[in-house]
Amino acid sequence: MYGRKACQLVKELENSESGQLTGFNTDLFAQVIEQCDGHVNNLQALLRKMQEVGSENQTAKNADHFGALMHHLSLVRNKRCLMAYVYNRAEIVQTLGWTVDCVLPEEIEEKLSSSEREYFKNHSATLKSYMSDLDIDLALDMVPPKDPYIKVRVLEEIGTVVLSDQLANLARHAILFLRRTDAEQYIAQGKMEELTG
Amino acid sequence: MESGSDKGTGGFSAMDEYETLISTTDADLLKRSWRNEKAAPEILQFESSLVQRSREQIQLMEETVGEFMQNGEDPLTVSLYQMDIDRTVFLLRSYLRTRLQKIEKFMFHIQKTAGLWSRLSRQEQKFAKRSIEDMKKHLEQSVLSKLPDRYKSHLKQSVISEEDDMVTEPKLDSFVICRSRKFLGGLPVDDSGEENPLDMYAGDIYALRYKSIKPLIESGQLDLV
Repeated sequence: MYGRKACQLVKELENSESGQLTGFNTDLFAQVIEQCDGHVNNLQALLRKMQEVGSENQTAKNADHFGALMHHLSLVRNKRCLMAYVYNRAEIVQTLGWTVDCVLPEEIEEKLSSSEREYFKNHSATLKSYMSDLDIDLALDMVPPKDPYIKVRVLEEIGTVVLSDQLANLARHAILFLRRTDAEQYIAQGKMEELTG
Repeated sequence: MESGSDKGTGGFSAMDEYETLISTTDADLLKRSWRNEKAAPEILQFESSLVQRSREQIQLMEETVGEFMQNGEDPLTVSLYQMDIDRTVFLLRSYLRTRLQKIEKFMFHIQKTAGLWSRLSRQEQKFAKRSIEDMKKHLEQSVLSKLPDRYKSHLKQSVISEEDDMVTEPKLDSFVICRSRKFLGGLPVDDSGEENPLDMYAGDIYALRYKSIKPLIESGQLDLV
């Protein structure tokens, strides 16, 4: 049936957990595109036929006319589904640009199509360029701050680094008080965890 | 205040606004703009001078804290100042971030609506332009280039469409919670066709459709919460 495959594509999107990417379904995607080509061939054939027959035979004309409309509508519907699939995934890729620093983790990267990978790179570069224009890092402070200092545990060996207010030795398993803005980047990378309570 | 006698109706409200204006700090204004921006479904006017002032203030405060630390000021005082800075910085970042996220979501709509496009700051316009380029390229590579000729537009479903029917638009008729800052009489908030104007007193909180109160938000008579 027309449109069934495109619908599957959208359903796949719908069934995946929100904000989570599933692998790009290249096969199904290609099949829908193929269907589109089929539609346009049929459509053109019908249009040609309509022109040849002219307005003499009213009934035949009507049948062809509706046939052409069917193909047009199916095509448009397929397009909407394809676009929805790509666009919604692109939105997730956009949010990645906020949380992930430049390099995508492998398990996410392999789920993206090549165009999506390129889009991620371009879009995070766009985001970066805005931040550097304004000279402000918007990836920090994702949650409202309560205390300027937080207690953190270092999960991965980081070594001695210069922080905004001190020189700290961030050895593995060390528990220390850091400026929240300093710690946030490490927490985002999974190298530190915040200790609460 | 001794000028009690000239408090006519007009004079009073002007006076009143002036009073609130001078007693409102930039931090309050920033908080208000941030809240409005967070709650509004569409992008609002960029508060360029407010953002500029806030950034200068943050810088000034950071310098003050730096001096305090050098002079060996009481750590508690320093920490309180630091906390204040952190909060302002958070507001500023979150404000800018919310706007960028709206641009990401509605880029094509904002681009073709001149009224919205002019609300962006220069840098945001640059960001939007680049985002649109990126997204267009991505959509073209993935879908549009593979579709038949008359279906290649990213704005229209096909060449037959009269309007741009492929563009994500903000839902302007969604409900928002708002608080009025002063008395507002006879608001036409009901679009069901019935005549049912609403009177709002200062401090009243209502859930209304964004569309119906949009001008009041833009003129600053209502706040979103």
